[in-house]
Amino acid sequence: MQVSTVQPVFKLELNHKVTPNVVTIAKYDGTHPCLTASAGYDKIIIHHPHGSVVSGRAQRSQAHGEVSELNLSQAIIAIASGPIKPDCGRDMLLIGSPTQILAYDVHDNIDLFFKEAQDGVNVIVTGNFGKYNEVVVIVGGNSSVQGLDWQGNELFWNVVGGKVYDIITFDFDKDGENELLIGCDDSFIRVLKNNQFIVEIAETGPVVCLATVSDVRFAYGLANGTIGIYEEGIRLWRVKSKQNALSLRWSGDSLACCWGNGRIDWREGNTGKVLRRVQMRMNAAAMLLADYRSVGAPDLVCVSDRGEVLGYPPYQENTGFNATSKKMPTEEDRMAITELFNKKQALMVELQHYEANAASGSTSLESADRPMTAMPTNTRLQVAVSAVPDEGNLDLAITTNNETIVRAALILAEGIFETGETLARHPLPAQLRSILHVPLKPPRDVPVDVHIKALVGYGDSEQFHIFELTKQLPRFSMYTLAPPSLANTKHGSHVTFHITERVQRICIWLNQNFLLEQEIELETEETKELNISFICLRDRTRLDMDFKADGQVKFSTTDIRLAGDLIQSLAIFLNLSDLQSVAHFPEAEKKLRAEMDNVSEIGEMRSRLAAETAERAQLITALLPAAQDAASYDLKEMLNRYKEVIMLNEELLMGCHIRRATQEQAVTSLKNLHTVLQQATRLRVGKYSKAVVSASRKAVRENNIEALIKIIQVGDS
Amino acid sequence: MDYDLSRIDYTICGITFPDTLKILPIPVGPKIQQKFTIGDKNGVLQCLSIKDEEPVVQFKTLPGKPITSVQLASSTGTLTDKIFAASGNEVKGYTRKGKVFLTIETPLTETITSMYVNCRCVLGVDLILCSGRTVTCYRDLREIHSYICDDRVLDIAAYNTPNNTRMRLLVLVANKGAEILENGYSLAHTAISAGPTRLAVPPSLHALDVYAFYGAADGSLGLIIYEGSTLTSKCLMEGRGLGSVVCLGWFMGNGGTHLAVGRHDGSIQLYLIDMENMSGKPRLKFTYFCGEPVTSVCGGCVGTDDHELLAATFSGRIFGLRSQRLVPGVANLTNIPQDALASRRAKLESEVIRLEKQTANEREKYQRNTRSLHGGLSAPPLLDIQYELQGATRDGWQEAKITSAVPLDMLFIYCKRKLDLLTDNAAVLSICSSQSGAKDLLATVRCQAGTRRLWVRMRYILQANDPVSRAESVQVLIYALPSAAPRVARLITLRLPVLPYYSQHENMDKENEKRSWCQVHITGSFSVAEMTSWLTDALPGDLPRPSANVAFARSHTLLRTLLVCRYQRGMGIFISDNVTTIAIIKDIISNCSVKKNIRIEISTDIPDNCCVQSFQGIKEQFETEYRTYKDNLLKKAISALELDERATSEEAPTICNEYQRVWSISDDTLTDTHFEELVDTIDEWYVDFRSLTLRNTDYTTERVKLRKALKDCELEQILLILANENVMPHDID
Repeated sequence: MQVSTVQPVFKLELNHKVTPNVVTIAKYDGTHPCLTASAGYDKIIIHHPHGSVVSGRAQRSQAHGEVSELNLSQAIIAIASGPIKPDCGRDMLLIGSPTQILAYDVHDNIDLFFKEAQDGVNVIVTGNFGKYNEVVVIVGGNSSVQGLDWQGNELFWNVVGGKVYDIITFDFDKDGENELLIGCDDSFIRVLKNNQFIVEIAETGPVVCLATVSDVRFAYGLANGTIGIYEEGIRLWRVKSKQNALSLRWSGDSLACCWGNGRIDWREGNTGKVLRRVQMRMNAAAMLLADYRSVGAPDLVCVSDRGEVLGYPPYQENTGFNATSKKMPTEEDRMAITELFNKKQALMVELQHYEANAASGSTSLESADRPMTAMPTNTRLQVAVSAVPDEGNLDLAITTNNETIVRAALILAEGIFETGETLARHPLPAQLRSILHVPLKPPRDVPVDVHIKALVGYGDSEQFHIFELTKQLPRFSMYTLAPPSLANTKHGSHVTFHITERVQRICIWLNQNFLLEQEIELETEETKELNISFICLRDRTRLDMDFKADGQVKFSTTDIRLAGDLIQSLAIFLNLSDLQSVAHFPEAEKKLRAEMDNVSEIGEMRSRLAAETAERAQLITALLPAAQDAASYDLKEMLNRYKEVIMLNEELLMGCHIRRATQEQAVTSLKNLHTVLQQATRLRVGKYSKAVVSASRKAVRENNIEALIKIIQVGDS
Repeated sequence: MDYDLSRIDYTICGITFPDTLKILPIPVGPKIQQKFTIGDKNGVLQCLSIKDEEPVVQFKTLPGKPITSVQLASSTGTLTDKIFAASGNEVKGYTRKGKVFLTIETPLTETITSMYVNCRCVLGVDLILCSGRTVTCYRDLREIHSYICDDRVLDIAAYNTPNNTRMRLLVLVANKGAEILENGYSLAHTAISAGPTRLAVPPSLHALDVYAFYGAADGSLGLIIYEGSTLTSKCLMEGRGLGSVVCLGWFMGNGGTHLAVGRHDGSIQLYLIDMENMSGKPRLKFTYFCGEPVTSVCGGCVGTDDHELLAATFSGRIFGLRSQRLVPGVANLTNIPQDALASRRAKLESEVIRLEKQTANEREKYQRNTRSLHGGLSAPPLLDIQYELQGATRDGWQEAKITSAVPLDMLFIYCKRKLDLLTDNAAVLSICSSQSGAKDLLATVRCQAGTRRLWVRMRYILQANDPVSRAESVQVLIYALPSAAPRVARLITLRLPVLPYYSQHENMDKENEKRSWCQVHITGSFSVAEMTSWLTDALPGDLPRPSANVAFARSHTLLRTLLVCRYQRGMGIFISDNVTTIAIIKDIISNCSVKKNIRIEISTDIPDNCCVQSFQGIKEQFETEYRTYKDNLLKKAISALELDERATSEEAPTICNEYQRVWSISDDTLTDTHFEELVDTIDEWYVDFRSLTLRNTDYTTERVKLRKALKDCELEQILLILANENVMPHDID
């Protein structure tokens, strides 16, 4: 499709670089929107076309008359704005640095609050959420989300798997209250309601952007270039691009998508069909919806990383492809005719294909002059998946039912291959058979749809028949039944809980979620107990499941994450709203202790290092003018002083490297800690799971390791 | 875009070859709508007129051999407009009513690719046919003379000659440029580097002037002029990344003469040409994208009394591009009753429904077959896919263009060696992991909906010091999977030549230039055909057809070194000023001859100064590349600084002039750097030189020194090492 020639309704230059995704538009005085962005490491620029911002801290920029600069002494990771102060219509600016959150009233030049963010800051949003009456500040960190009120008091806190990339407030279950939709780098979109995850949508890559479309729809974008729309939890469509989506916005009944390379497309909401497309001159930094012209309707405001700002009005049909021509009824007919010709052409080709096929059908298969494209019509393709414990993977066998060979197989599935979205097999000519084996190794325990395209023909064919099949791998396909001979290793890690459900139902769950060569059947109707053992193909560890007659269930595995996944899957299948469990995972506990120690250690080190740095910086600021002074009377002295400055500078630099390393370490430790906590919550369902979160938050804050261990074990302190 | 033309679909036909759509001239008066004729690959020639946007068939022939060229007899004064259609080696003439009045079966062995017909009132019919390399002239159905060009003839135009009845022919020859022929002899010749593919003779040209516009493979447009017995050409419009030109036509609407250009990338452009000053720059007035290669464009009053542009595409869509300014307000001007369109739409809809039913029936039948025990044979016809592999450009990419009649869903690419791959922006390339540790390349290209044309660029990954793979051509298998029925995948086999850079054709007289020529001399019991087939492994593009004596010259697109090949039965000489090229040719030919079990003897003659001389040849280029390379490093460093507008301001710049210069260089110039390649190339020269002149005693230290000198661009040191003055030939007994 051609790049549209639609012109923006406004265009301005900020004369500043803009950090991608650290941009917001806020009404600091309550009426006039101001574009606010991070311009480089620690500088915030505020564009105020409607009159200057009265502020002591912001300085007028030298590069642009309508821009004020705000310098902070810390790196800026995220900014957001919103009317968080009760009874005050003005927007407050929220600035997130790697470890702190600052809420600042730009209009009155007052700090609202300043809060340490131990879990780091990746994204900040403001909005109405749940039962809270005021606008809430929601901070997404490394594996955590946190809700703050306007004074910086914590309203809620929860753990999520992985770094949080984007959050929106969205009424997912249509109960009139907003839930939080959280996009994380562990490829899940999670729905948080009432501090409890009610839905997890598995995606195929880190979820980098989310946008509200309508009451029931939201759009998402992944780090692998996929964008799409969900309606009531079901994906309507998705498309994949080479670029990464930077921002998605719903504007004028179409989904505007801004890509990293500066391309913006407007897509139809139902199908994802591109309606029009424009290309900015630079890479994009952000796309927001705001009434920047004060006309009463929000425009799309697109910002490039060089500071160019373009405004586009909501998409309308007649500003589409032929910008100048009015749409006539005849025009519509003509377009329909073009479309009909497309259809006709495709049908004619298909028909010709069948006709030619029928004409050549008389030639016999055995004859030497078999056409280069031929194949017996009754060729069938069969596909089977089986576990290969020795290789540690699944084997997808593709076979034909006659002497034709499988020339090549393309396996399309997302998120299960190391490189890209496809796996291909193309045997050497000497190895062409009517069966082809493809190894599969899903890295996560999620159900995967595997699309198979197999090219079938003869070794010397010039054209092959395409057979297409879709095979669904169940969630726990990487676990296979353990042979009875396998000795039971004692590891002592297990989780136990109690359910009131017949074993027959459990069997159905097992058959649905595991890849079994034969379905599990109970010996008699009266059987009340079930013992079953699996082996993990990835690391050959053992998983035992005991379902006792009294409803006691015991999952024995060393993998706490797997235990959580099993419990969640079972709970959904059995429709359990609450489930408490007792867990014993010595390794996870050990890890937790180590990480807790780590975190507190690093915290101490960090403050010590910060003090040192401040001291040295002060020394340098004193020495520099001294050296300059010395230049006038004693050159030798000056040289000495400069040498000292250089030495100090090097020390500072070194200190900086150390600080960076400790920071990274701290982030990893925190992430590990949160992962363990999240896994612990997943061992419970419903209110018990919520209890784990709040109890563990308390324990972490009090640095109470023993309480934490207890929480993991019994779900409460 | 100055004009606002919108698309009106008329009809569809089979796959079309370039320039097979023609608009018939107006019989009487200006107020009558014109008819047009089209021939397709199924061999159907049809003549249509348009009434209320609905095509009315005037005549339609039965299917036959593919029609590769359609011409009209451009008679002056009379109304006898005849249609000539060439298919295979046959030419048929049709009257306006579709009656065959002429059938010639020529003795030509190759398909007729283009022709020219001229009916003169008194002298009868001149028919000029081009097939392969030959141009044959017939007068009154008798062959009068023929001329064999150096390479394939691409297009032809004919002009009257002063004072006699002969024809003067302007011929485009592949890779060679343009030539003027008269009476079977070549009068003049000019080389055009852009690679012209199509000619368009301006309408209303003075009878004796020889002017023609050309469209070229690199997308550029130009003008060829023959004046005072010299043939000159001038580029008027650069390609600017547009696709190669497939067809040209003339469009007279909007108050001017426009050159209409149809391209392989699916775009159609209208350029306004100043007929008084044809060498002036054409002005772009209109662009349209139709998504698949455009095979014909021509202007005429087809649908209305107003001029419109008629175009045909590869897959057989025929549509008009008509000015919109008539439509709004006064609907009457278009002469279309309001309901005509609606009824046309309804008619098409019902036809599509009927076809859908029919197809569903056939599908059902086909599928029933697949379930039966004694099934027959499913032998669908080959998918209509055209492909073309081009030689490497400066940066070493070899582009394969794939055009399909049906929309493509995916390409699957397999090669037993790793290659760099690139593809269209509209497609998603995904490289799969190799099969069980092998070094093979498996990749898929997923296309957008409706993709009918696609390019894939491939490049060798430089593997230093790997003499085995260096002399081995690579086979790339591409499976094209269409998105809808028929569910078959066509296999395209491409062979990447070993020396892809030698894609530029040169004149043989370049051989007389003073260069330091290295030579490899081959004798043995091989035929010319065998040698040609061996060389196809080495060189890109078409090679000359085998004949008693073959001689041609190619030049390296990056280094500009030359390769001259001469061979005949039992003997071959290859000369180049690039010692590596000679080494590779030697390896290829010895490999191939071993495979064929043919005994050959190879001797090489490498002058002592060849490395120095060759380096002198690229010294300037090397220095420029070195500077770009350095600038690139510097720019990276500068861009790491957080510079704002003030850094480069007039009054008080914060960075020095040198840095400002580097900062202002555009990224495109900087990314276009070949420094590393040049270093590798020169290093390779040195290695090959040492091994071919049997001086391959231990020279690792020299090599290390050379690489270092190259990296730092120490010219004197480089020349010193390459000159080899202190190295004596090693005693070899």
